[in-house]
This record gives sequence, C-alpha cells and structure tokens, in this order.
Amino acid sequence: MEPEAEFWLTRLFNDFLGGPLTSFLAAIGRPPADPAHPWQNWIVIEILVVAIIMVLFAFLRSRLSVDQPGKLQITFEAVYNFVSGQAHDAVDYGSAKYVSFVGTLFIFILFMNLIGVIPGFESPTMTPAVPLGLAVSVFFYYHWAGLRTQGVGRYLAHFAGPMPWLAPLMVPIEFISHLARPLSLTIRLFANMFAGERVTVTFLSLTFIAIPAVFMGLHVFVAFLQAFIFMLLCLIYVGGAVAHEH
Amino acid sequence: MTRKIIFLAIAFLLLASPIFAQTPGGGTNLADLGRPFAYIAMGIASGLCGIGQGKAVASAAEAMARNPGAQGGIRFALILGLVLIESLALYTLVITYVAK
Repeated sequence: MEPEAEFWLTRLFNDFLGGPLTSFLAAIGRPPADPAHPWQNWIVIEILVVAIIMVLFAFLRSRLSVDQPGKLQITFEAVYNFVSGQAHDAVDYGSAKYVSFVGTLFIFILFMNLIGVIPGFESPTMTPAVPLGLAVSVFFYYHWAGLRTQGVGRYLAHFAGPMPWLAPLMVPIEFISHLARPLSLTIRLFANMFAGERVTVTFLSLTFIAIPAVFMGLHVFVAFLQAFIFMLLCLIYVGGAVAHEH
Repeated sequence: MTRKIIFLAIAFLLLASPIFAQTPGGGTNLADLGRPFAYIAMGIASGLCGIGQGKAVASAAEAMARNPGAQGGIRFALILGLVLIESLALYTLVITYVAK
C-alpha cells in the first residue's frame, strides 16, 4: 500500500517491529510483498482492538460489586444476559458452555466493526482476511463442540441423514453445506462492512452535507446487526452439531 | 399495434448506430468487457433481494398484527430472515468487485 495511506500506528509498528515480522514470515515461507512494511492496517488495528477490550474488561473486573453495581457493570450484565439468552434459545442442552466463546466473538466483532466509524481508523473487518479467520475459528469450534458432546462415531454418523440408505445422497450435500457455512459467514461480514464504507465514501464524494452522515448511521446499525448475526449463526451451528435426537 | 411497437423498438436501437464510428480506444481488456454484465447482475440481485425482503416484512407485520403477544419471536425471525436475504445480494456485490 502507499506509505501515505498507512495508519499512524501501523507506521510505528513497521518502524520498530518490521524486521522481526519480516523474518518470521520468511521463516514460515510467506514473505511479505513489501519487506519494509510487513505490518498492515488490519492486523495492527485488530491488535489495538484486543488491547482496548482487555483494558476495558480489566477495568470492569476491578469495579465489580454485588451490592452497588456501577453503570458499566449493568451494561455488561445486560450484554451477558442477552448472549446467554440467545445461547439458551439456540442450543437445547448445556448452552452455558458456549457462552464464553460466542460472547467474546460478539464483543470482538462489534468493537472491530465500530472502530471504523471513528475518523482516521479503519475496520479490520473490511479486509477479507479478518472475517475469514473468524469464520474458520467458528467452523472448528462447532465441529469440536459436536465431537466433544457426541463422540466421534455418533457425530460422523449424523452426517448420513435420518436413514442409512440416504447416506450416499446426504453425505455430499452435508459436506458442501458445511463448507459453505464459513464462506457465507466471511462474505456476509466482509461485504457488509466494505459496502458500508464504500457507500459512505461515495456519497461523501458527491456532497458533504447531511447525506453521508445518514449512510454512516446505517453503517453503525449494520455493524451491530452483523456482529449479532455472526454470533447467532455460530450458536445455531453449535446447536445443530450437539443436537441429540432422543 | 404489435408490429408498430417492434418497428419502433428496432428504429430506436438503430438510432445508436453512430457508435460504430468510434475509433478503437486504448485497448479494451477482456476482463473489462464483463463490467456491464456485472452491473446488470448487481441490479438484478438487488431487485430480487428487495422483493424477498418485502415479502418477509409484509408477512412479519401481518403476523405481529394478528398475534401481538408473539411480537418478540416474530421480530427476531424477521431480523434473522432479512439479514440472510441481504447476504445473498451481497454475494453478488463481492463478485462485482472481483470481476474487475
């Protein structure tokens, strides 16, 4: 990318940590396209979002109180209840195990989507790599959840469908549909965030009075909605994987 | 009447014949030739997505009117359905950008 388009934090990372990352990437066989600037905006802002979330939750942790909950605690209790309620609706039995992963996913994606609204910052979810990483982690998570609760044999057997003679038809269909899930998760999140920014910028190039702000507001709404949908789909996939047909 | 309309349509199309006098410009890429199709595809995808979402909202509004007690569940199903339909139009948008 052009050096002027670099985020200021990316430039700091490239100045101080550029060498170690280039040698690490070369060691694992994927050398960067521009060895002087191996850090890219999306990974740097992703690390920044992680740091912000960790600081926020460390601060929250220190202020937890049973008798006199502060505003921050009440807010995050509401978020937790929301995520826990969705998990209870989606997963028949034992939903509390999955709330931690799914809640983290929700807050991480929400913060990453919203940081792009601040002028000067760019959403990491605008690059296809970040939603792809999240979708692949969801893919492995729900298969692992299914394997853990049902055992390897029973979990693989349920791909064959309700009746054994349907298996030659069901297995390829289930295989393709399971592969399509991370693809659709990726494209949905990436395209929504990318299109939101593009539309705002397009209207900003036409006029700077009022109209781009409307589209930016829509982008904020879509950011919340897409984080919620990503979390909800992860829960639905987990629910499908751990479902017992009693 | 039909023959008049067909004649008029062909006449209008032939009205654009000066375009054949164009000097070949700076080399059209093979990939660039696909761009108008990408735009039409995006238009079709958005239109059909609009129809689908319209049906979803219409039935959700009617269900909420019939059964005000189930508003929470209906609203949830509505939002989920709208987002999934929206993502279909967005797949086409991604292909529009990929097919440069």
